[in-house]
Amino acid sequence: MAKINVVTGRGGAGKSTFTALFARFVDVKRLLLIDLDPDSSLPKMLGADLEKSGKVTISHALYDIIVSGKKDDSPALIEERLKDGSILYESEKFHLITLGTKLAPGCYCLPDEMIKDMIHKLRDNYDMVLVDSPAGLEHLNRKVTPDIDDLFVILDPSEKSVKHIERIKRVIKGVRISYKNFYLVANYRFTEESLNYLEEVGERLLGRIALDENVRNFNLNGRSLFSLPSDSPASLSVKKILLEANYDII
Amino acid sequence: MARKIVVTGRGGSGKSTFVALMSRFLSSPSLLIDLDPDLSLADMLGIDLEREKKKTVIEVLYDVVDERKKGMDPLIPVEEKFKGLVWTEALYEGKGFDLIVLGTKDMEGCYCFPDHLMRKTISELVKTYKNVVVDSPAGLEHLNRNIVSEIDDLIVVIDPSEKSLSHISRVKGIAKEVGIRYVNFHVIGNYMFKDSDEEFFKKEKVPYIGKIDYDSNVEELNLKGKPLKLLPEDSPALISTKEILKKARLI
Repeated sequence: MAKINVVTGRGGAGKSTFTALFARFVDVKRLLLIDLDPDSSLPKMLGADLEKSGKVTISHALYDIIVSGKKDDSPALIEERLKDGSILYESEKFHLITLGTKLAPGCYCLPDEMIKDMIHKLRDNYDMVLVDSPAGLEHLNRKVTPDIDDLFVILDPSEKSVKHIERIKRVIKGVRISYKNFYLVANYRFTEESLNYLEEVGERLLGRIALDENVRNFNLNGRSLFSLPSDSPASLSVKKILLEANYDII
Repeated sequence: MARKIVVTGRGGSGKSTFVALMSRFLSSPSLLIDLDPDLSLADMLGIDLEREKKKTVIEVLYDVVDERKKGMDPLIPVEEKFKGLVWTEALYEGKGFDLIVLGTKDMEGCYCFPDHLMRKTISELVKTYKNVVVDSPAGLEHLNRNIVSEIDDLIVVIDPSEKSLSHISRVKGIAKEVGIRYVNFHVIGNYMFKDSDEEFFKKEKVPYIGKIDYDSNVEELNLKGKPLKLLPEDSPALISTKEILKKARLI
């Protein structure tokens, strides 16, 4: 049964960048990635062109079902679409399911519930499930992953990050999400001085993602981080962080 | 009727910073609303809500629910009871502007109900202010909930990445589908913008009206959790914000 790992953090901290590099360098055979962010950016960072490969997001699939007037059968119909291969994107290194943007009114409770169910069902087929969260806290209130192995919180250097950590803990406790490890990862904007700041938090800091002009350019141009040089500063630092968390890397 | 300004954007782009900077220039009475559960606006404004004995909207809601459990008249709907309390308990009244914050929820489930209450509260509040400025949570979901359906100025703060382009088209797509109407749509660049980034976005035909200049003072104040009102008048972030507001005809 797969380990369930979750990457979360405030907006713009670098969750998807970390997730993409995590996926690239971690040494696991069967990896399932979940992009839980409606304002999705992970597929592009992974070089996964969903449209071209004829894949749809969960929100998209649900929208089609609702438009066709078969709303009541949506769990069964979504499962059908999972089985016929229109949701799961497959590449050599990973499989990917994306939540996608919902254009209809109302919250993401139903699509999130579908993903929760899928993780539960697919878990046995993988060695690791890695979830890239949307910015903020609401996904935690929805308890998409009730039992987490490793929780990675990506931080930017601001007082707000320290408050963010406290809020994560409060929500997790309130809704009863369990986790084995609570890890902090500092983003590229940290300096030596601001890193000291994190020591007061009292949670394990795995390291810092190095500032990398390549990443900036790749992200600006929408290029896959799988083609980032493997000795680029961000690549090296993410590998180091993974080793620190006891993962094997390739 | 107040001018309704909604500031939105991807996470970390600088929405709250922009709203805090903007608060210096708006004519009073103005109301600022922090819709972000991972709230930071009050801190940036230098307002200690706890010391001011003000509650978040969620805290007021919890109180009402608790009271009900203790045997409050079951015939009074939670919503009515909430409406009676939110003004006195959650509205912070300050010099120049007032503030109300949504707050963090630590119970299971989404923010639909608190947001629904916000929607109702906002529609009441707009009657008494000149400007109502909404600081949105990161992402898009608040738009699906259609909290403010008639917007005067929808401002998207973006960072210099290709993702911002997808973000802008998603904002428009959702607004259209859920029936959010806006009079003006503006895009502004954040502190990470270089001149070349400005060129990039101008070419993409987005209604780009300027950028908030990088300001080491802002960075330091945010790092230490100090309010942005400590910024000197001539600081680059303030000057550029003023320019942006003029272009958007907000001042």
